[in-house]
Amino acid sequence: MGGRVKDKGEKKGPHVFGIRHLSPAGAYYVRRFLDEVSPELLLIEGPSDFTELIQDLGDPKVKPPVAVMAYTEELPIRTILYPFAVYSPEYQAICWAREHGCECRFCDLPSQVFLGIEEQKRARKCQKPMEEESPTAHVYRRLGECSGDGDQETFWERTLEHALDEKGYERGAAEFGRSLRELSMGYEEDDAENLVREAYMRRVIAQAGKEGFSPDKIAVVTGAFHVEGLLLGGKPMTEKELKKLPSLEVNKTLMPYSYFRLSERAGYGAGNRAPAYYELLWDGLCREMPDYTGRRYLAALAAYQREHGNMVSSAEIIEAVRLAGSLAELHGAHLPALRDLRDAAITCMGHGSFSEIALAVADTEIGTKIGSLPEGVSQTSIQSDFYRQLKELRLEKYKSVSSQELSLDLREKLTVKSERAAFLDLERSFFLHRLKVLGISFATPQAVRQERATWAEQWLLRWTPEAEMQIVEAVLKGDTVEQAASFELRERTTNAGISGIAEVIEEACNCGMPTSMEYATNALQSTAVSAVSVTEIAETAGRLSVVLRYGDIRRLDREPLVPILSQLFLRACLILVGECVCDDSAAKLLAQSMTTLHQVSINHDFLDGERWLKALTEIATRDDLNTRLSGLAAAILLEMGQIDSQDLGREVERRLSKGIPAELGAGWFEGLSMKNHYALIGRLTLWEKLSEYLDTLDNEEFKRALVFLRRAFADFTSEEKNQIAENMGEIWQVNPAQVSEVLNGPVSDEELSMLSGLDDFDFGDI
Amino acid sequence: MEQNMQRLPAEQLFQKEIETLIANEKYPVPAGWKMSPRSVFTYICGGKSGDVEITPKYIGHERLVEIAISTLVTDRALLLIGEPGTAKSWLSEHLTAAINGDSTRVIQGTAGTTEEQIRYSWNYAMLIANGPSREAMIPSPIYRAMEQGMIARVEEISRCASEVQDALISILSEKRISVPELGVEIPARKGFSVIATANTRDKGVNEMSAALKRRFNIVVLPAPDSLEAEMDIVETRIKQLSGSLDLNARLPEEEVVRKVCTIFRELRKGATLDGKQKLKPTSGVLSTAEAISLLANSMALAGSFGDGNITDRDLAAGLQGAVVKEDNKDGRTWEEYLENIMKKRGSKWLSLYQECKELNR
Repeated sequence: MGGRVKDKGEKKGPHVFGIRHLSPAGAYYVRRFLDEVSPELLLIEGPSDFTELIQDLGDPKVKPPVAVMAYTEELPIRTILYPFAVYSPEYQAICWAREHGCECRFCDLPSQVFLGIEEQKRARKCQKPMEEESPTAHVYRRLGECSGDGDQETFWERTLEHALDEKGYERGAAEFGRSLRELSMGYEEDDAENLVREAYMRRVIAQAGKEGFSPDKIAVVTGAFHVEGLLLGGKPMTEKELKKLPSLEVNKTLMPYSYFRLSERAGYGAGNRAPAYYELLWDGLCREMPDYTGRRYLAALAAYQREHGNMVSSAEIIEAVRLAGSLAELHGAHLPALRDLRDAAITCMGHGSFSEIALAVADTEIGTKIGSLPEGVSQTSIQSDFYRQLKELRLEKYKSVSSQELSLDLREKLTVKSERAAFLDLERSFFLHRLKVLGISFATPQAVRQERATWAEQWLLRWTPEAEMQIVEAVLKGDTVEQAASFELRERTTNAGISGIAEVIEEACNCGMPTSMEYATNALQSTAVSAVSVTEIAETAGRLSVVLRYGDIRRLDREPLVPILSQLFLRACLILVGECVCDDSAAKLLAQSMTTLHQVSINHDFLDGERWLKALTEIATRDDLNTRLSGLAAAILLEMGQIDSQDLGREVERRLSKGIPAELGAGWFEGLSMKNHYALIGRLTLWEKLSEYLDTLDNEEFKRALVFLRRAFADFTSEEKNQIAENMGEIWQVNPAQVSEVLNGPVSDEELSMLSGLDDFDFGDI
Repeated sequence: MEQNMQRLPAEQLFQKEIETLIANEKYPVPAGWKMSPRSVFTYICGGKSGDVEITPKYIGHERLVEIAISTLVTDRALLLIGEPGTAKSWLSEHLTAAINGDSTRVIQGTAGTTEEQIRYSWNYAMLIANGPSREAMIPSPIYRAMEQGMIARVEEISRCASEVQDALISILSEKRISVPELGVEIPARKGFSVIATANTRDKGVNEMSAALKRRFNIVVLPAPDSLEAEMDIVETRIKQLSGSLDLNARLPEEEVVRKVCTIFRELRKGATLDGKQKLKPTSGVLSTAEAISLLANSMALAGSFGDGNITDRDLAAGLQGAVVKEDNKDGRTWEEYLENIMKKRGSKWLSLYQECKELNR
């Protein structure tokens, strides 16, 4: 009876303990089970070729969470991963074996075969469309529904993790395994695989028998589902049958794992949603205090809240503990499950809203724990992916400690035969950009001389031991360089502002990763909602515009960026006018933004140009905005041909009329001259009006205006000043050459002293 | 007598269900309660008791009901917070009806509620004639609930002045009321608790003090779950309203209700209904109640100045008023919504889009 079923009848079988993977109670009770049975051989469900890693895994220097991983040598890289936390029954069994000097092996199909079968399945899946819910999934869903908790995770916690003793756990697990078998066997796609696996496990058990282990001294720790298959199933697998199974060449390694990754891969066996909370469950069991977990969880939430400046009183924690208990009682449970605890915390500490404690919950349930391994035991898939790509992209010679330059031409090479060779440099660029995203210090981009180089890149490559370390660390982000880079880009979007996300889009485009680009684009859409400043929008729009215009060299679909750019542009048009009420330092930033936005609006005709024009016109004509920006708007309109000479003349007259303070008038002129100088020089009326304006000023006013006008003309080249001189000459009826000489000539001593006299001039608060 | 009442209290309306649940009780009943927490849950969320079908009274957020009931089991006070029209009072009435079989110990909070109404007041004629005595005292609903070990309700607690709210603090923490005039202290019997309701939109009226909030377990009742549920509520209420208000207009077609509810839900949630696109929410809350009054308004417009059918023009006027509440910001948000979302919705929305755009200039 129960999970540890002994074979009925005369033939004696091994002791089998059925578990749920990543189950603290299982981890705790498996040790008791082993103490009781005290086996000489311990078999654990897990690919049998991983047995060689058990020694390393049981090393006390190993700090879980860690994972054993097998990955194919050939592309595309396929991996299988067995994560272990401190509360994994398998991990505790391995530790027990080491402590008690017991022989320990994995007994499931070798990883080569697992990956082989998976590859076959994948090939088959391509032909078959997705089906409806499988029987197993149905059973799980119904379990969740019938338990009254709505999710099966809570059902598991209530039935297994809160089991009061070893027997209760065993019985629960065994009963579940048996029932699930009954219900699903014969309907499931994986049936065949399960049968094959069990036949193989029986083979391992039989072999152990041949080696001389008495069946009575063999213990097997396996998923509850397989218990019955091992004990009641048919014959062990023969050598011939084993040979027939598909198999792939693989590498194996241990790798550090993280609770965060464990929580991401929710699903039976592969992970669980709240690893840090499960560790609390494990702690509670080890202390033999079942109610420790709940109290600890709530106290940890409160501690986090207090640390981040939110008041939580002890009374609130006490109330939360009581509420959680009474919620559990409502479901007939003796201990609160995570769901009860969390809801109690929301009610008592979060004042009814989850968002108040969301960060604390993430920290307490998932946590930031990262496993570690002693040095030298890890050869991860991302490392081998890195080396393979180096070879494929013919970059191996750059792997040296002296730095070397690499120039890339991203354009298609028409002279070569294969497509791969034609885009070799592009592929190289993708690869190096991905490394850059991952912060691997192997390659650094250099500035390219030509402005806005759209097709050339310059890199500096240098290999260091640190780079190797950085690559190993990157394995936590993904199995291959590409996956890790995509994870990293995804992470970067989470807390970024819109210009930060636009940077990610640009980066993803550089890395040649369309899915990341899509993800970031969606993130941008949702973040853009709360973006408020024109400067930020303009910066973002500028970046997007660059990707849209020059991205085609990287052969990526940039269509999804179009609607978002239009939205941002619309927002900018709507709020720009309001933001133009500002001081001069803000105006400087805004002027840049306006120029960028204008550039963007010219470059993409899907944008609402008319609205832009309207906004500009409003800025140009209103008198209550920063005059510099009004001037700039006028300059842009002038450039677009929206203002003719007559209008401009009138506007100059109005802006520079006598009643207007000199600094405002001159500021306007400064703005006007920020754009195309030639458009100004070509309009004689403008200069006439300017000249007339200066005539109207008295001495004091003139001094003021002079300062601003000097600044406005500082950007003009001497060529341009010559042309202005021509204009002035025409207006004043003097020789243009003479004027030009005065304008361009060095400042004389006399003039210098006059200018230094200006230093004493009281400019007030200009 | 009963026929003349506009509305019966819950325990009389659902008397049969309550009696059945009590008769079929299988689980332990807490002190002062009429039925077990599980039966209370069944009464509120529906189910079966013996052969009798229990109608659900509150649909959708069952977990919140569980939390509310569990709170009352731990003798903590319960505070239900939510937008107008999220069934706070409804839930509080039914909870007390099921737990005590009596939902009538209510204090209706207003700006004029006094401390006496929370604690006790006096029959002044008797007080002056005979001096203070038990007979001259008029106990408040809370006072009576304490004596009987039952649950008292305080409606719209955030409308009460802060000193009145403060009076509750000591009652909730000490669980006793002292009557210095008589030199006695009345301890609360087991089973005493308080259910208060507060409106999120009234936050500005009288912010609840942190001290009082700490004495409550707070459950936030959210807006209706789905578009269909919200449309249902709106349609039912509109029907009732148009009857009593004589609006002379036809009831809005389903399509019109759908449009209004869609716009409201999207602007409230800050995302399109399909969840694919985020958008900027407005400063106003845009509650279900507002959707109802908007439609009633449009009906009044159509009835008084039009042919009795709600046109997109009437609707646009209502929307403009409801969405653009305070400043230019709302206007810009609304314009963005029009351009980015509504404009792209296709022909059904086109004329509404144009009317709205016209008005938002």
